[in-house]
Amino acid sequence: MGKYILKRLGYIVVVFIIVSLLMYALYNLIPSDPARAQLEPQRKSMKPAEYEAMYNRLRESMGLNAPLIVRYARWLGIYPDINGEFNGMFEGNFGYSQFFSQDVVQVIKSPMKNTIFINIFSTIAALAITIPLGIYCAVHKGKKFDATVGVVTILGYSIPIYIIALIFIYVFCVLLRVFPVSGTKTPGMEYANSWQEFVDMLYHIALPVIVMTFGSLGGMTRYVRSSMIDALSMDYIRTARAKGVKEKVVIYSHAWRNALLPVITSIIGWFLSIFSGSVVIENTFSLNGMGKLYWQGLNNLDFELVLAIQMFYTVVSLLGSLLIDISYGLVDPRVRVNK
Amino acid sequence: MKKKQFFLVRWFKRAFMGAGHETKNLTEEQMQTPMRTIMRNFREKKSAMFGLITFLLILVFVLVGPYFWEIDLSESESTLTNLAPSQSMLKLPSALKGKVADIGCGRTFGVGIDTDGHVYTWGNTRITDKIDISNIPDEVQNADIVHLAVGDDHAVALDVDGNLYVWGNTRLQQDKFSSDMTKAMKKGENWDIVQLEASNQFSGALSSEGTLYLWGNTNNADIKVKKEYQGNIAKFSLTGSECMALLKDGTVVYAGSKGSKNPLGRIPAALEGKKVVDIATTSKTVAAVTEDGEIVVWGNVLKGEDQIPEMSSHPVKIYGGRNHYTAMLEDGTVLSWGDDSFGQASVPAKVEKAEIKDIYVGYMQNYAVTTSGDTYAWGLKGFVLGTDDLGRDMLTRIINGGRVTMLVGAISVIIATIIGVVTGGLAGYFGGNVDILIMRIAEIVGGLPFIPFAMILSAVIGSKLQPTQRMYLIMVVLGVLSWTGTCRLVRAQILAQREMEYVTAAKAMGIREVKIVFKHILPNVISLLLVSMTLDFATCMLTESTLSYLGFGIPLPTPTWGNLLTGANNSIVIQQYWWRWVFPAAIFGLCTVCINLMGDGLRDAVDPKSNER
Repeated sequence: MGKYILKRLGYIVVVFIIVSLLMYALYNLIPSDPARAQLEPQRKSMKPAEYEAMYNRLRESMGLNAPLIVRYARWLGIYPDINGEFNGMFEGNFGYSQFFSQDVVQVIKSPMKNTIFINIFSTIAALAITIPLGIYCAVHKGKKFDATVGVVTILGYSIPIYIIALIFIYVFCVLLRVFPVSGTKTPGMEYANSWQEFVDMLYHIALPVIVMTFGSLGGMTRYVRSSMIDALSMDYIRTARAKGVKEKVVIYSHAWRNALLPVITSIIGWFLSIFSGSVVIENTFSLNGMGKLYWQGLNNLDFELVLAIQMFYTVVSLLGSLLIDISYGLVDPRVRVNK
Repeated sequence: MKKKQFFLVRWFKRAFMGAGHETKNLTEEQMQTPMRTIMRNFREKKSAMFGLITFLLILVFVLVGPYFWEIDLSESESTLTNLAPSQSMLKLPSALKGKVADIGCGRTFGVGIDTDGHVYTWGNTRITDKIDISNIPDEVQNADIVHLAVGDDHAVALDVDGNLYVWGNTRLQQDKFSSDMTKAMKKGENWDIVQLEASNQFSGALSSEGTLYLWGNTNNADIKVKKEYQGNIAKFSLTGSECMALLKDGTVVYAGSKGSKNPLGRIPAALEGKKVVDIATTSKTVAAVTEDGEIVVWGNVLKGEDQIPEMSSHPVKIYGGRNHYTAMLEDGTVLSWGDDSFGQASVPAKVEKAEIKDIYVGYMQNYAVTTSGDTYAWGLKGFVLGTDDLGRDMLTRIINGGRVTMLVGAISVIIATIIGVVTGGLAGYFGGNVDILIMRIAEIVGGLPFIPFAMILSAVIGSKLQPTQRMYLIMVVLGVLSWTGTCRLVRAQILAQREMEYVTAAKAMGIREVKIVFKHILPNVISLLLVSMTLDFATCMLTESTLSYLGFGIPLPTPTWGNLLTGANNSIVIQQYWWRWVFPAAIFGLCTVCINLMGDGLRDAVDPKSNER
């Protein structure tokens, strides 16, 4: 198992380097010149030749003349800067956000908390609903309830999440007035203690979490259902039933363990899509999260911020796939042996 | 065994092939090619057939629709913003029919008085959520109204005793009478009003003595009448923010004080020395009819206001709408010209036959009253699906948006399929290092967070591109990011197929390996490929619309089903302007659901094992 995890870790490092290099190169396609931007205020007070010389010096000292790969390594923090210090992502320097006039680390802090909170919440909620629902539908295949769920799941994964969000806003905020339309806290509210603050935040993110959960119900329920049906049609299930094993044991012990494998694989894609989907949700509900920040950064051409958030998304997806790989190894002994 | 076929198919078959076709099929179970089995399985699934037919209807609708509802990307009409769906803007209330005394044509509504002095309103009378023209004040209801005029957002009425009433939007001084007016009103001197007009936030009244009173929002309109014209005015007409007047001696003048700077103030030389009998204005132009039957148009001509059609006789009266003119000729015919985007310059045939007594024209509306009391109306009837915040017809935008969304979806699926088939085919057939390399690349691309990555690609590359080029960019980005599923599918299929006998046979005949993959194996997996293409099509449409919704897809003003919903995520739009999000969301939702139903049905038909699921 240890060797298997190491192998996956090594693979993830390679992927991380490829993706980050790709992103960095893409980012460098944007015509921007920090040296010229920094000199612009003094430009009029200098002679052209003097300005040119100073500009070239500044470019050199900022390391802008170095080849792409060196700049990339410096940005990661695995190659020393001009002054001989390591100062990159691995040292905790994610760059400077022009739009917020703050270090990216400072800008990202609280949105990241919100995003992770929302995503974990809706992941747990979605799994808690879809797995029992999928199993129930598979066991009662072809019944009325199964057919109804089938229709609802098709609706769930066909309709884009922002339309679901609009409908939910209309029903819950406009018609019923149960939830607030946007934001993460009641404006102008003073909290007596942190518990109150937490409850207020829960109240505000309830609707986004419900929408996200609802949006991911469709796909997941179908996966669970179809892999469970596959597992239930196997010979060993017939054998178990023939032996007189209780139906509950057959379903939850014999069939579900085997149905879990394809479900886990599909969770990878789903876990990623939930983070991507939160870009849409956070914008629709104007929540202060990573997705909203990413959108703001892109709209204001604040690319250091965008790059840092993009790296966050990449790391999340890689960690997610590592997590899946490990649990795959735990569930299926064959994986550990073969690889 | 054989189930009943879908009724349309059944009818079709009976109609063209006779009932014998059915019985033949019933008597013996035929040997069928796999394609025919698939087709039969597909037809037997009701949900899939429903999906197919609805999708085809939507497809035809968005492909043929743009030829009937042509889109003008630069279009915006400030007087038609956020209109609710309706078709009743020209529908006179039945109580008014036959006894019309005066009609005021508003931008999206009408106000009329009958011969007894009662006031009626019709059409879309809502100005804002609080202000509604149909809330006629009680004193107007009780008064005996003789004259009526309607502006952008207010209405003016005059009763028999010379009292003037203003209602509707009065927040911008629409009801603030000037001092000489109030004086005249009190004394009753110079206050025998013969003409009443209203326009964008200002209004005017003319007394029989020739004194013109203008009042309203001074910031918007030039309402200071030059003293030398007072007492000398025979008729006046209001444009969007100016006033033109016809003097008693037959000359046309710019009545306001800022005439020297205004293009309308430069009276054309063609009118010099001629006696003008009638004038009319649109929002930006003026038209004058001379004694000898000539019509001269000047001002800011943008929508063909000066394209005067050939006339059978001399014009006697002329009326102006927002961007069109209507004229009545000596022999009783009625002619309209100018902007015809809502049919306001297309006089119906009935009007030409009837004997017309009065014509009322304003904004995009025309009403003609015959001597027998019948009323004919032409012009803007309303919008079936309402309008958006720039006054654009939602129906036109939904149809054209659907075409763009489907086009982008289709082309990105084709790109993704080509990449997926080539890479998957190579990986599956050659195996070994090629396989490992391709599958690792697929894993990386598939592992990228899709929407953020597409957003950054569109933002970085798209910032330098033209809107059309940006559309192609989105197609390529979607295609390049979504080929991994197809690649995996093709690879897995080829791994299974290459063990089959027919591949061995082909190899034994010495056929080249590449040819075996693409010419022998691929046709055998084409049905599965079709399934994945169908499902991917829905996914690509969803992704495109999501990107456009976030503002990183197809840029405005080109409509797509995604960016139609861009401004919809605030509670005001969701609640008050529901038609701006309900219709695009509904048709888009229906379309993707149908494509997915179709894809699911197709997969069930292709894969016999999944039939049991």
